[in-house]
Amino acid sequence: MYRLALNMLFGDLAKLAMLLCGLAFSALLMAQQSSVFFGIMSWTYTPMVNIRAQVWVSDPMVEQVNDAKPLRDTDLGRVRSVDGVAWAAPLHTSFVQARMQDGNFKLITLVGIDADTFAGAPAVLSQGRIEDLRLPDTVIVDEWGAALMGRMGVGPDGQPRNTPLKVGDTFEINDIQARIVGICRVKRAFTGGPFVYTTYDRAKGYTLGARRTLSFMLVEPQKGVPPAELCDRIERDTGLKAWTSDTVIWNWGERSLARNTFWWFWTNTGIPFSFGTAVLLGLFVGIAISGQTFYSFVLENLKYFAAIKAMGAGMGVIARMLLVQAFTAGLVGFGLGAGMAQAIGRVMIEKGMPPFVMYPQILWATFALVLGISLVSALIGIIKVSRVDAASVFRG
Amino acid sequence: MSHLAHTVAVRATGVDMFFGTPENRVVALKQADFEARRGELIMLVGPSGCGKTTLLSVIAGTLTPQAGAVEVFGQRLDGLGQEALTSFRRRHLGFVFQSFNLIPTLTVAENVMVPLLIQGRPYGEARDRAVAILDKVGLKGREDGRPNALSGGQQQRVAIARALVHEPPLLICDEPTSALDKDTGAQIMQMVRDLSRSPERCVVVVTHDHRIFRFADRIAEMEDGRISRVVDDPRLLDTSQL
Repeated sequence: MYRLALNMLFGDLAKLAMLLCGLAFSALLMAQQSSVFFGIMSWTYTPMVNIRAQVWVSDPMVEQVNDAKPLRDTDLGRVRSVDGVAWAAPLHTSFVQARMQDGNFKLITLVGIDADTFAGAPAVLSQGRIEDLRLPDTVIVDEWGAALMGRMGVGPDGQPRNTPLKVGDTFEINDIQARIVGICRVKRAFTGGPFVYTTYDRAKGYTLGARRTLSFMLVEPQKGVPPAELCDRIERDTGLKAWTSDTVIWNWGERSLARNTFWWFWTNTGIPFSFGTAVLLGLFVGIAISGQTFYSFVLENLKYFAAIKAMGAGMGVIARMLLVQAFTAGLVGFGLGAGMAQAIGRVMIEKGMPPFVMYPQILWATFALVLGISLVSALIGIIKVSRVDAASVFRG
Repeated sequence: MSHLAHTVAVRATGVDMFFGTPENRVVALKQADFEARRGELIMLVGPSGCGKTTLLSVIAGTLTPQAGAVEVFGQRLDGLGQEALTSFRRRHLGFVFQSFNLIPTLTVAENVMVPLLIQGRPYGEARDRAVAILDKVGLKGREDGRPNALSGGQQQRVAIARALVHEPPLLICDEPTSALDKDTGAQIMQMVRDLSRSPERCVVVVTHDHRIFRFADRIAEMEDGRISRVVDDPRLLDTSQL
């Protein structure tokens, strides 16, 4: 009977198309909006991804990675003295204005790293060498920033250059020249500013007037010392706050700074509400369109279901037929919607905007919700058919 | 007596059936008695509202009477639960409906296969048997077409094939010719008669169509919720009252 149930479903292409549209649109909305949501949220802890270290140490009042509260330079020595620390390096992060050649200003994320160890340096340089940061007035700019700031640059002829910045180009940070010696490939940040790397000491110069410039300390545990355990020791011995750097959302631990950053944005911004509304909208639209379409499909076939009942099909068989129909439509609708979400995501990823992260869990959740919509639709149909009297087939 | 009992296919005795609330009661059957024999084609006739369809539904096990006994091929239906009635219909009954009730989104063969698939027969076996019976009703080569592409007469042939494909002992036909012209109706009734002619089968036809009375072995006339008389010869009926 299940094959016949499917043939009944696929035999009415117009109704099927309507049903699939509802389910696919619903799946698309839920998967796409969730992926953009997690993409945006993943941008909130971008520094954790771009500046790599196993343990981060901060002021005890720090709640998230974008909110650095300056430490004393002497804190570095205290951390280095904690048992289990292999090394500790200073890190400066701040938002400062960079002045372009055309006179425009651009907010950048200035990252000052230890010139001796280059701890926290970008992993991939598409141009230049990291060692050149030791030269005077030098910086490394990320690719996206190079392209963005390039549009604000001026060529030798005085005309807008419209080409990305490259090694050798210059701009100013607080009236101090910054000469580009490298272009790096890093992840973009929620704050929107390009990442500009320099040495820790030079960063002090770029942030004139700041009394304290030590934002975080990057710490490497000694071999065999688990990062979480080292965090405990650092907190116990120094009174500072220590964090692990795990950024994989489904695996991060209690001490993860990325996790704290994620939840800080979750509770302190309207982002979850905004995207949550869109996801709920997708769910309700899916239920409304699919439920209504499936209900009208059942209504149109009601006399046939009554005939099948009269011929001796139990309600269990008919219920299973309706479930097979609804779940098949759900499966195809989910496939179409998820496929469209993937296609849109691919375009988004290529353009870099808006951020798009489609975790497998998003697909599973969307799949479950679409099947839920199908189940609701099937239940509406089952209730309707169960109320049909088999004897009604004899009433014309 | 025992010989008579052996020949009875359907027996309804003292059947009462009413609808609505006790204050607003509509009596459909009132102490109705009915009997159909094995190997015969019996027609139920009578004016609209006399209870023909209700009696047919009771015999078919789709309605349970408030009083009386119903026995079909030795099986008492009154007192059976819904599940048992459903199972009984699945094994013992074939239906031909007034409006065919062919599922338009299925092929002709798939429509015919429905009773076999309800019985749990494998798809392949069901299809083979459907194709074979469609051949018998003159629809060879139309198995994979849609019912809507067929004429009214051809659709009713499909319905007959569907009703007989699982070889039920009791064939229930509800106004089988009402949507057909005279000649097609006659052809359909001839087919019902030919295909159902068996000592182990009984055909009950509810009809208003006096043009097909000649195909009946007996005709039971109903009036006010009960059988008023049973005749062997349709010429004995006053068709102006039907």
